[in-house]
Amino acid sequence: MTTTDRSGGAEKVDDPRWPRLDGQAKASGGYQYGADLEMPGMLWAKVARSSIAHGLIRKVDTTLAQSLPGVRAVLTGRDVEGIRLGRTVLDEPVLAVDRVRYIGEPVAAVAADTIEIAEHAVRLIEVDYAPLPVVEDALSALDPSSPDVHPGWRGYRRAPGLVGGRNIQNQASIVRGDVDAQFAAAARVHRGRFTAAHVHQVSLEGRVAIASVEPDGAIHVWTSHQYPFGLRKDLAAILDREVEDIRVTVTGVGGGFGGKLYAGVEPLAVLLAERTCQPVKLALGREEELVATSPRMAATIDIATAVDEAGNILARDATLVFDAGAYSESSPAVISIGLMTVAGPYRMNAFRARAVAVYTNKTGCGSMRAPAAPQAVFAGESEIDEIAAELGIDPVTFRLQNALRDGDVSPLGQVVHDVGLSEAITTAAREVGWGADPDPDRGIGIACGMWTTAAGSGSASLRLADDGCFELTSGATEIGTGAVQASIARACCEELGVGPDRLRLGPTDTSVAEHDHGAQGSRTAIQAGNAAVLAARDLIRGMIEAAADHLGVAADDVVWEDGQARGVETGLVVTAEEIARLARGVDALVGRGTYAATAAAPGTGVTTEGMLVAVMNIPSYYAHAARVGVDRSTGHIEVLEYVAVHDCGQILDLPYARGQVEGAVVQGVGQALLEELTYECGVLTNPTLTDYKVPTCQDIPPIRTIFVESVTATGEVTEPKGVGEPAVIPTGAVVANATADAVGVRLTALPMTAERCWAGLRDKTRRERQ
Amino acid sequence: MSRIRMDETTERGIELVVDGIRYRPRVEPDRFLSDVLRNELGLLAVKEACTEGECGSCTVIVGGRALDSCIYPVGLVGDRPIETAAGREDPLFDDVRLALVAGGAIQCGFCTPGIVTAAVALLREDPAPDEDQVRAGLAGNLCRCTGYQPIVDAIAHGVGRGEDRDDD
Repeated sequence: MTTTDRSGGAEKVDDPRWPRLDGQAKASGGYQYGADLEMPGMLWAKVARSSIAHGLIRKVDTTLAQSLPGVRAVLTGRDVEGIRLGRTVLDEPVLAVDRVRYIGEPVAAVAADTIEIAEHAVRLIEVDYAPLPVVEDALSALDPSSPDVHPGWRGYRRAPGLVGGRNIQNQASIVRGDVDAQFAAAARVHRGRFTAAHVHQVSLEGRVAIASVEPDGAIHVWTSHQYPFGLRKDLAAILDREVEDIRVTVTGVGGGFGGKLYAGVEPLAVLLAERTCQPVKLALGREEELVATSPRMAATIDIATAVDEAGNILARDATLVFDAGAYSESSPAVISIGLMTVAGPYRMNAFRARAVAVYTNKTGCGSMRAPAAPQAVFAGESEIDEIAAELGIDPVTFRLQNALRDGDVSPLGQVVHDVGLSEAITTAAREVGWGADPDPDRGIGIACGMWTTAAGSGSASLRLADDGCFELTSGATEIGTGAVQASIARACCEELGVGPDRLRLGPTDTSVAEHDHGAQGSRTAIQAGNAAVLAARDLIRGMIEAAADHLGVAADDVVWEDGQARGVETGLVVTAEEIARLARGVDALVGRGTYAATAAAPGTGVTTEGMLVAVMNIPSYYAHAARVGVDRSTGHIEVLEYVAVHDCGQILDLPYARGQVEGAVVQGVGQALLEELTYECGVLTNPTLTDYKVPTCQDIPPIRTIFVESVTATGEVTEPKGVGEPAVIPTGAVVANATADAVGVRLTALPMTAERCWAGLRDKTRRERQ
Repeated sequence: MSRIRMDETTERGIELVVDGIRYRPRVEPDRFLSDVLRNELGLLAVKEACTEGECGSCTVIVGGRALDSCIYPVGLVGDRPIETAAGREDPLFDDVRLALVAGGAIQCGFCTPGIVTAAVALLREDPAPDEDQVRAGLAGNLCRCTGYQPIVDAIAHGVGRGEDRDDD
């Protein structure tokens, strides 16, 4: 474990804003995204999609489409039969062959001279379906009488340890201790059921890729993507090619949030490029994005909490049913994250939970910022308030009483250290004015939790350029957070002792950079940053040697300071530019660094099944609180103020960390109050931004972000913990708890629309009249 | 505002002035302006995140008025000048861009060009808007990354300040 050594760099003051290197280009519209990229001879692709949610394909007629002038290729499922996608279960044909499982499923793909011709050709493709009954939601899918979405599920290749079933992608479970005994001995048990709707990442730039295939078969893909090294491996597996034959270049990325982590439009782009021998661009429109790209799973969660009379949590038991759509993508793995977060950051004697990812006839779900956690924590933290209320204990007091502290064992069986949780809770409560007399129809709520930092590796190389500037090539991907363009750049510059004008960032390209774990799991700034610092130190060693050689002294007698080498005795300076000149034609001066985070050890006393991940690495802690007001006549819930408190250990770059928290909170507000993919019989009834409500700048509360830096036993600030995801997790529970405080209505379904809140108020009034 | 018939334009082309530069693309008047700007003229400071007039990423200023170019037929532009986020003629563009950069109001940046033009249009109308007025002026611009706060702060407080400019 290492953190950047700042002793040689500029002083970090209260709110230093290291400029992001891509800022000016983005402001003037000159920054090039995948959406903007074109190449000579490029063809445009369009996908023909299923118009029914479930059915057999009797016939696909592409004759008219093929004969349209300007059409260069039409592919159907038969042409690419056997080519399948799937991260952990290979269940998704790249084009449907004999059946379709969701409205929007790709049935054919066209490449043409212009996008208009491609769109016209798609409209000319005729598909004859024999409809099958639609499996609408997870609970009905689990009913044995429902249709089987994947009759061939037994034959699918799946990752070891996964447990499939009829309409089941994976079942996972975790047990620690004797839950039944704890429940039997409990003073009180509270049970609740909570649901969360599908929501979508809504990256403003949709999925887009350009693929080109050389005559010798070498594949080059330019794509707006979060994880080029993962994509490269996935494409090799999907297309049955060698990894070395595939090159992935990441374009500018206009948002990802988990929706651009896996193979999306790339396989079809490559297949069309192979067929046509020309570069092919496939870009999805907004409706296609909402209808057919990997939303967050919907969930129905039953949770029970057992406490003793004094208010100590004895045990929690939960069942999480995730509606994961027609194809699995990452769902079999991410349901584990629901199991990891549903119990909350509390001490307890026992914990048991089971989760299932269910096949339904809707678009296959995928990963979205903190996958499975917002749903799980909505249930877990709403329940905490309910049982606290039953015991007559203040929700903040209850949480502090049970909160994990340094040295405690988490529900996952991990011993936790550097736990800033209690401080986060008290800070959030204080900042929101907990305990003050409420105004009518106004309330305050709080929720807390813990989150992981995905363990992966990052690599970087740093080259001294001829002009004395430095060129950093990192395998990491910039998707907007500033992790690469600001944080890693700063770390590198500070190590070198130079300003940002002396650093250039190279392309994110698998042929040029070394492996990086991708923009996921809140790990980029930390792990890729460490790699860049190591590369800088490596380069500095080389530059010192070159300078020492030139000065005729030993390397030990030269130091690197403020971007140049200096002889200790003589004080003679050798600039970077001079060193570059000396090295030209002799020895390329390049530093290399690789950093691999160690994954945490498995929890003790824990039995798991079907969990591809079961531990938290370097957990961070958070507590959010909010004040809301409810309009009784409409049910509208307004968040009046919001406080987000995070223990993310040492903060690397305060403005960018804050940017992640604020952006995530607003996404959380969307999930809590506004956003829902509404399906009826497998039909998405709101496939446009007109009706899928993403928060605007008028929909958001004032947000205060506070970082509490946990300290180790010896008083040092703890290592950095990931910050990209956790702030999206607790908003639902925070607002639900505040609403319950305001008007005495417990809302258990996300989003908490005005209609739902109004109905809750009406039902409460009716109950009180009885 | 002239009315152009469809058959005229394929020969004459439609004259447009964008950020001070004259163009004459040969396009049908019912093609949407963002499509013409991006795909005919190669002007990429106009994004198309939704093509349904909902997100504002395609915002341009036409005759001083900010509008969603993805649902605006090019034939309605007439002789009104068009300004995009790449604008250089009015120093207000530089000030707005600088304020956004300095204010940490840019993450993925896909919404940013539309915000630049919407903000310029707003500030021309009211050079010192309060936060509520800024929010009203930017209500048609979706951002999925920043949570809006730094954008609103930058436009309400950071434009023309110059204090956060980088050293030369």
